[in-house]
Amino acid sequence: MISAGCDIGSLTSKGVIMENGRIKATAVIASTNNPESSAEKVMNLAVEKAGMAMDDIDVCVGTGYGRDRIPFVQDTASEIVCHGTGARWLVPGAMTVIDIGGQDCKVIRLDAGGQVEKFITNDKCASGTGRFLEVMARVLGVSLDELGTFSAGTMSPITFASTCTVWAQADVIRHLNDGHPLEDIGAGINSAMANRVSMLVSGSKPKPEICMTGGVSKNRGVVQTLEKLLGSRIHLPRRADPQLAGAIGAALLAQKNGRGGAN
Amino acid sequence: MKHATTAGPIQHAEESVQKWKENGGRVVGYTCSFLPVEVLNVANVLPARLRGTGVSQADIGDTYFGPYICSYPKCILQRAGSGQFSYLDGVIIVPGCDSMRRLDECWRKAGEDFQDIVPDFFFHFGVPHKAADHSKAWFSSEIERLMKSLEEHFGVSIGEDDLRQAIARYNQGREMLARLNDFRKASVNTLSGEEAFALSVAGNLMPRDEYTRYLGEYMDEVSGRKPGLYNGKTRLMVAGSVSDDLQLIGMAESLGGVVAAENLCFGQRHEGDLIGEDEDPISAMVRHYLDESLCPRMMGGYQTRLQFLKEKIEEMEIDGVIFQNIRFCDLHGSENAIFERDLEAMGIPCVRIEREYGALADTGRLRMRLEAFMERMT
Repeated sequence: MISAGCDIGSLTSKGVIMENGRIKATAVIASTNNPESSAEKVMNLAVEKAGMAMDDIDVCVGTGYGRDRIPFVQDTASEIVCHGTGARWLVPGAMTVIDIGGQDCKVIRLDAGGQVEKFITNDKCASGTGRFLEVMARVLGVSLDELGTFSAGTMSPITFASTCTVWAQADVIRHLNDGHPLEDIGAGINSAMANRVSMLVSGSKPKPEICMTGGVSKNRGVVQTLEKLLGSRIHLPRRADPQLAGAIGAALLAQKNGRGGAN
Repeated sequence: MKHATTAGPIQHAEESVQKWKENGGRVVGYTCSFLPVEVLNVANVLPARLRGTGVSQADIGDTYFGPYICSYPKCILQRAGSGQFSYLDGVIIVPGCDSMRRLDECWRKAGEDFQDIVPDFFFHFGVPHKAADHSKAWFSSEIERLMKSLEEHFGVSIGEDDLRQAIARYNQGREMLARLNDFRKASVNTLSGEEAFALSVAGNLMPRDEYTRYLGEYMDEVSGRKPGLYNGKTRLMVAGSVSDDLQLIGMAESLGGVVAAENLCFGQRHEGDLIGEDEDPISAMVRHYLDESLCPRMMGGYQTRLQFLKEKIEEMEIDGVIFQNIRFCDLHGSENAIFERDLEAMGIPCVRIEREYGALADTGRLRMRLEAFMERMT
């Protein structure tokens, strides 16, 4: 059975094609201002990589903020259930999932069967999300990958008084003007992010094993600081790009239910 | 009857207020459910609860309140400053919480900058946070002070017998609202949460006799509906801080739920609790408004409030509870977290939402959370 998941997020769109529970092809593109067009582009890319046609897909489930406008899906499911399902597949023992995407941060607690037991999402502001790191990396003039390496390279990360994206940005500029090393500033940004996320995680009463998905899980600095703050190891997906967790979950639901959904 | 749409009762209520005014009636706006509206009824003044809906700008509210405060009183002040309450003959500020207490001073201060926004009758009605003997004595004196002030300002007389009749009039509506809930029980299931909530909100505005009549006609119509209209839907309760817009309930119902109960300030809480009609009316009102309140502003009543929720969840066969509070609401924000902890421990799924007052903002993320919550229960 060929199943597919299409995750139209606020920053990136992801497509995954699975054949009998194994990933056949994946694609990630920057989301456009039109969910239909993002969905078509990313799935066409995934289909092309898989060497097949759209008609070869038996069932496709959509997720993400743009899910209701994806024209070719048979069903949709929320990001929470898709990310939970995808994370459990990526890290089989995961009971708590921290997913940090472009504009939100979710903590999902799963039961033994992989069903969502409880979830929390950030509802105050964007400071605990990928957008925070993206803005800060731009101010520092480094790539997101490079920003992630800064925490390991310094013993004296700068403490940021505010995790508000706007105020922290002004702080970063001040520290740059004062001639502080990029590593210290970058490590401070990663710590600020981890601090913010740890509050959400602690509020969810996390159960081990904890895993992390979403684009921010690629930032080693954030992950390592978060591990220290939570006093617990964080497992990272190795079977696929952690950014694909939602789309993988959608494809798995499509395969499981025939027509997707949460049941 | 104008209830072809779910917003019908509210629209009807707003038109009723307008008609009352056109016919020479007096209208006094008030801010909190702790006001003994029976007193105003005797004074032949229509008590219309102030709403902040329809506000699209916050410049006036933000100027006098500052940014870190509940958006409900800010929206009321915004409307006041924009002249939308110019029809009011008076305002009674009831300090249900500190933000609402500040509305008194912010409104007065704004009155120095905006002409004619503070009516001559602008009354601060104190409500204690405890139901102890000494606080009841104070609340009683506040009711008497309000009565005297109304008598002097509007040239009316508020007699004991008139008060008893007003209490009976309001009790009738309370009894009907309690019976309205029967249509929401799982065995009947003929009334949507959106409709029920609209009817409750309308009761905060409409002249009481007209409301009772309207509610009766509405109930007659609902009783003719085929039972089980909302069967198969996830049964929800919505609880928390002030809410008088239908959108949140509407969103939950559009995602496959039916809001079968609520514990909301503008909605139904303890409608079955009536005010004693055969005793001293002021003492009876004091007891009703203080002892029977289920608002977290009352100190030391958490266990009673939790028990009330548990009983309602059981009676209405609720599958899950949506707790909502307006951003910066300390009272409901903190109590919602404890409710969530305790109800989840009993196996009742809960979700907590913090939002701005009024038209739903951030609907994408809110919808995602509600959808995921519903998925959790299916």
